[in-house]
Amino acid sequence: MGFLTPLLLGGIALIAIPVVLHLVMRQQPRELTFPALRFVKQRRDSNRRKMKLRHWLLLALRCLLIAGLAIALARPTFKGTGLHGKDGAPLAVNLVIDNSLRMEYVQANESRLEKAKKTALELVEKLPEDATVAVCDLGRAAHGYAPDLSAATSRLQNLRPTAEARPLVDGVLESIKLAAEQEDRRQEVFVFTDLSQGAWNDEGLKEINNALSAAPDVRIYIVDVGVADPKNSSLGELQVRRSVLRPGEPLHLEAEIRSNLQSESPLVELSLRNEEGKLQKRSEAIAAFDPQGQGRVVFEIPNLPLGTHQGSVNLAATDPLIVDNTRYFTVEVRPPAKVLLLATQPADALFVEKALGASLGDASRFDVTVKTFADLEKAKLEEFSAVALLDPGPLPAEAWNSLWDFAAGGGGVGIFLGHHAAGELESFNSEPAQRLLPGKLKRVSRAETYLRPRRLDHPALAGLRNYAEELPWQICRVFQYWTFDKSNDSDTYVIAGYANDKPAFIERPAGKGRVLVSTTPFSDPLEPEGREPWNTLPAQPWPFVALVDQLIGYLAQDGDERLDYLAGEVARVQLSPQQQVASYVLHLPDGQAGSRVATSGDDELAVSITDELGNYRLTAGGQSQRLDRGFSVNASGTISDLTRFDPEKLTGALPKDRVRLAENLEAVEQYVDVGRSGRELFPWMIGLVAVIWGAEHLLANRFYREEKGKD
Amino acid sequence: MAAVEKYLKPEVIRQISRLDLRAQFIVKGFMQGLHASPFHGFSVEFSEHRKYSHGDNPQDIDWLVYAKTDKYYVKKFEAETNITGYLAMDLSGSMAYRYQNELSKFEYSTCLAAALCYLMVHQQDPVGLVTFGEKIIDVLPPKSKRQQIGNVLSHLARLKPRAKTDIATSLIQLAAMLRHSSLVMIFSDLLVDPEPVLAAMRRLKHGGHEVIVFHVLDQAEVDFPFDGLVELRDPETQERIEVDADGFRKDYLKAIGEFRETYKRECAKSRIDYLPLHTGMPFDKALMEYLLSRRNMG
Repeated sequence: MGFLTPLLLGGIALIAIPVVLHLVMRQQPRELTFPALRFVKQRRDSNRRKMKLRHWLLLALRCLLIAGLAIALARPTFKGTGLHGKDGAPLAVNLVIDNSLRMEYVQANESRLEKAKKTALELVEKLPEDATVAVCDLGRAAHGYAPDLSAATSRLQNLRPTAEARPLVDGVLESIKLAAEQEDRRQEVFVFTDLSQGAWNDEGLKEINNALSAAPDVRIYIVDVGVADPKNSSLGELQVRRSVLRPGEPLHLEAEIRSNLQSESPLVELSLRNEEGKLQKRSEAIAAFDPQGQGRVVFEIPNLPLGTHQGSVNLAATDPLIVDNTRYFTVEVRPPAKVLLLATQPADALFVEKALGASLGDASRFDVTVKTFADLEKAKLEEFSAVALLDPGPLPAEAWNSLWDFAAGGGGVGIFLGHHAAGELESFNSEPAQRLLPGKLKRVSRAETYLRPRRLDHPALAGLRNYAEELPWQICRVFQYWTFDKSNDSDTYVIAGYANDKPAFIERPAGKGRVLVSTTPFSDPLEPEGREPWNTLPAQPWPFVALVDQLIGYLAQDGDERLDYLAGEVARVQLSPQQQVASYVLHLPDGQAGSRVATSGDDELAVSITDELGNYRLTAGGQSQRLDRGFSVNASGTISDLTRFDPEKLTGALPKDRVRLAENLEAVEQYVDVGRSGRELFPWMIGLVAVIWGAEHLLANRFYREEKGKD
Repeated sequence: MAAVEKYLKPEVIRQISRLDLRAQFIVKGFMQGLHASPFHGFSVEFSEHRKYSHGDNPQDIDWLVYAKTDKYYVKKFEAETNITGYLAMDLSGSMAYRYQNELSKFEYSTCLAAALCYLMVHQQDPVGLVTFGEKIIDVLPPKSKRQQIGNVLSHLARLKPRAKTDIATSLIQLAAMLRHSSLVMIFSDLLVDPEPVLAAMRRLKHGGHEVIVFHVLDQAEVDFPFDGLVELRDPETQERIEVDADGFRKDYLKAIGEFRETYKRECAKSRIDYLPLHTGMPFDKALMEYLLSRRNMG
């Protein structure tokens, strides 16, 4: 119990007035002659007692009336079960508002974010003028206290849902820290959340708990603006089999669908942007759900022309959360990579050539040219993406140099050593050759072994990762292989080795390009004449084709490229080594476009403004700078996770006396009022005074009615 | 009837200043109202025959005597017995009390007494008057002559209430004084202890006298119409009591009710006629009571 204006309690002293009046100015009775006094006498005593009682009652009522009025005007407050903080100190209020896309869930014609904003605005309206307010959303920008309440109000009003939302817990932690800095104020943090599992988790609660113990004066009010039983259909992340396609290769795309709407199976549409930039429906599928409400749709779009293709997959369902019904994708159709195979005679290149050509049937990833080492001098290497030397013999220094230049300019050089190198160590250990090779050739090891890559995490072999269990490495027997002296250069890297841990494939960067050395040949016949075979690799089509495809693809820098990003991530668009881009135009999903300058010398374009969901496009004109690339930005899968977090778990995990969970503004106000300045008892008090006044009036009227009549 | 009955109300009687006229007014109004009643002619009886003379009512001719004698005789009627009546007036100070009504208790009693006197003398009954305070003050011996009306009325008109009263002593005194059985009509507010009074009344009754008690109270004493804080003063003893009238009314009404009930019960036991009256009541009730009592004595 406390008083807002305790000075007015002095008014209680005015009680003296009725007491004095009662004692001094006693009411004079009306005198009447009455002969039947004997009957009055009989009952006089009880009547006199009643009279006295009534007199005192009247006096008491009047005193009470004055005291009640004085107490009411002193504005008593009741401090009950609220969260106690620094009494009487001005407020520092931190409003954490979850503005992730999940908060766009619409119920009663109002999104969760709108409800949160409305509640927060009502709260700010009721704050005293001396309160400072910080509005913290889940955007990436730093937050601080608003200069005044109206600034805080406008910040709240301007809150928009953001795709690149931080976890809510981060926002809460930031606010706790911010509040704790206001040491001379009451530190209060209001968290407006939909209480979904997407926002809350056990680890986050632990972190909040820790932060609260570091900031002992901070109180948290969690305002639940969510819905009890959320209904939603959502499209999961798109799985594009290959984002870089070759001509003729179909676009293969799968999407997972979840729904708890229990309505008919919805239609899923795939649209592609046409040349004019408009979305055009290209395919559709009906999503069938299993009893758990999960389904899967698969799209295959054949015959995409060369170039960048962007589009979206749309779940044609009407549910309260629309934002997770659409997902965007970008794929590129590129011309086949040009690969030059060099061998002593063209027949030697047969295995590799077939392996490259057969890798994808008709739609080959590679445009293969076979030449002999004798043609090396004449060959225009810059026309190719990669050059593979299959079992090279000694080469002139010019040839090594031109290969080095080719590699340094961005090309890929593969050197598959074999029996032609034997006895020709001078050429290989010469200086020009050593710029490409990982070290000096030492000898041929004849310890029988087999190819056994331990890990498939190197990009050159990453494509095999999905089949790791099915690859029969044991049958890739190797009888002879080259060994190197230990090189001083630290930039060599063993991509894969043999079962005896000796290196099989060694990579070495060369300028913008790369060099890959295999210590055993890929072109050796199984039964050579007059010598022992080196290995049985080409005899095993399954690992061999895949291995060749991966290694040559790696050399040609023809890997899959990431064209799909989450909102908030920095998107990186790889440029080809020959491409020079000084500036480009970035087209945003909303149709806006802006010119941007590329950092010179970089082999990628970085785009950091990815807060909008949709397809981004990068274009540049000119001959040498010609660019038409793109990427897609999607929201993270957590925005579809609307499952309610157990409120009891939430309150149970946090300190009870410092955290309150409220379902609406009234509950918030109740906690806040009671905790902050107590609940005002003025209305009750004044009501009580009115009742006392009425009673006094009634009683006094009975006493004085006759006197007034006389007057 | 209604026109006649209105003359029986105290507020009408009050407008007449002369007591004899008041008495006539009351009695005539009462008798007129009585014509339709079954009590007609009950108090008088055949006495003797006399010769019919001009002016006599032909209805009174006795046709049996005419058949025997061929002469007209009329029946002469007179009261069967002569009852000596005493009007006993209480002169206590409290009888002068009047709150809002037209008549005080004393005036009401006087009017009533005058009317009864008038009625009795007209029936050939001798009427006397006894006034008492703390003891018997004055006695007017009973007579049945017509002048007695004038005597009694003039005496009554001169009476004034005095200070104190002692009804029991006065009644005992009266009982000792009366030699023949008489009808004693007591007019009093009886605002003393009831026991001695009742004892005195019984004594009168045992002395062979018929007793009618006209218990006259002021309407205010019956209804207690006060409210607010009042200080009540007894006119006889000058005693004062302060009460809250509103809170007290219920108690008072209960007390006065018990008081009247005691008299009614005790009087009934002793075959004394007890008539509770108040100054707001019409007179006919009192007169009727007298007539009923008169018949019972017959």
